[in-house]
Amino acid sequence: MNFLSEGFLQGFDLLFSGDEEVWSAVFETLKLSSLSMLVSLLIGIPAGFALGHFSFPGRRAVRLLVDTLLSIPTVVVGLFVYAFISNRGPLGSFELLFTTSGMAIGQTILALPIIMALTASAVENTDRRLRFTLLTLGARGRRLLLSTLWEARHQILLAAVTAYGRVTAEVGVSMMLGGNIKWHTRTITTAITLETGKGNFATGIALGVLLLSLSFVLNWSVSFLRGRSAA
Amino acid sequence: MTIDARIPVYQLNDIVCGYEGKPVLRVESLSLYDDGPVAFVGHNGSGKSTLLNLLAFLLPPISGELMFQGATAGESGRGSLDATMLLQDPYLLRRSVFENVAYGLKARGMKDVRSRVVEALEMVGLSPDFARRLWYQLSGGEARRVALASRLALRTKVLLLDEPTANVDEESAQLIAQVILDARRMWGALPLIATHDLQWLDSVTQRRIFMRRGRIERQPA
Ligand SMILES: Nc1ncnc2c1ncn2[C@@H]1O[C@H](COP(=O)(O)OP(=O)(O)O)[C@@H](O)[C@H]1O
Ligand SMILES: [Mg+2]
Repeated sequence: MNFLSEGFLQGFDLLFSGDEEVWSAVFETLKLSSLSMLVSLLIGIPAGFALGHFSFPGRRAVRLLVDTLLSIPTVVVGLFVYAFISNRGPLGSFELLFTTSGMAIGQTILALPIIMALTASAVENTDRRLRFTLLTLGARGRRLLLSTLWEARHQILLAAVTAYGRVTAEVGVSMMLGGNIKWHTRTITTAITLETGKGNFATGIALGVLLLSLSFVLNWSVSFLRGRSAA
Repeated sequence: MTIDARIPVYQLNDIVCGYEGKPVLRVESLSLYDDGPVAFVGHNGSGKSTLLNLLAFLLPPISGELMFQGATAGESGRGSLDATMLLQDPYLLRRSVFENVAYGLKARGMKDVRSRVVEALEMVGLSPDFARRLWYQLSGGEARRVALASRLALRTKVLLLDEPTANVDEESAQLIAQVILDARRMWGALPLIATHDLQWLDSVTQRRIFMRRGRIERQPA
């Protein structure tokens, strides 16, 4: 067990001494997850709202598809996107493979269904008195829709946090589409995979601790939001 | 029989109203003039809320004609901002008390809403300090008052109140009676009240329309 405690000590040392390789992976993770979250939120909130608020033909089918995608394995997404963006794929000419943008496409496919499904159920589960309340107060058109969305804001934030957790924790997509290229597409999770494989526990632990802290902050804010939205 | 030359605020002709195509309310003819508070009285399930929802333009009639201030309601949405309603089971937006009371004013494009908000809170007996509270920091009774204040702030022609004294104590019930009379006196509102509390109603109005099984049973001549 000695190598574990030594690993921890060295890990903290790496983190606080500002080891460039470690921090490069951290920044890549932040850059990548910000990109995929931005796209997912921009598409997912309006799409989820429409799914939860309006009834249209095929709504149940879309709902089923989105729910299915919630639990899609990351390597399947990796495989699927790889087929599209690799040299011989239909999007090969954009040269997205082994780039942050390419990885972001994969992560967006992971995050989007979470945002959509949770936004849709948040909107569906708003109080049924809400619509009448807004109408009696004089809300019409766009204001009516935006105010409905605003009432569900805590659950939508919860959806964002949940999706963020998924994209920062996944390995499959980042590994297959990013290729774990040092200084470039190496993320926290792919770095941990590599370093552990090399028997280099200290770096792995340093990164693991970072990921754990991130997850702690996320879960703490989730429990805070849960309490808030229940009120 | 005298013919009233004035235009009624509401005029209902052969109205059928209901849910998912199933009728629960029939009104052959009803005219409501701007003569002061009117109460709809009847047992649970007699159709009071359904009628109020119709008058608040929340529930379109299955058939028949609903006229509001001389025009057919629904055509270009005319008049619908001149009526507001306190729901039987009021809901507060997940915002501050201030934002709740200001909401309808902002929806009407009003910019400087503070004085109207404070005034409405005062009408329901809440101090301006309440404006800062959030929706979950209120007791049930306070939440009801805030919901009422958010309607009063609008100073609409028609003020619909669905069972305003349900689950409130005697003191609050008297305050609500006073508020209804104040709304009439201050901006000439036409309060329309659904209730089964006849004793309380004595302090508000003697103009009563009795309802039973989705029909108007008796109305003042
Ligand atoms: N949302 C609804 N869907 C279907 N039926 C309803 C709905 N609301 C009320 N009803 C029915 O309409 C009738 C009148 O109800 P309501 O107008 O609420 O009466 P009241 O307010 O006098 O108690 C009742 O038989 C009730 O069951
Ligand atoms: Mg009722």
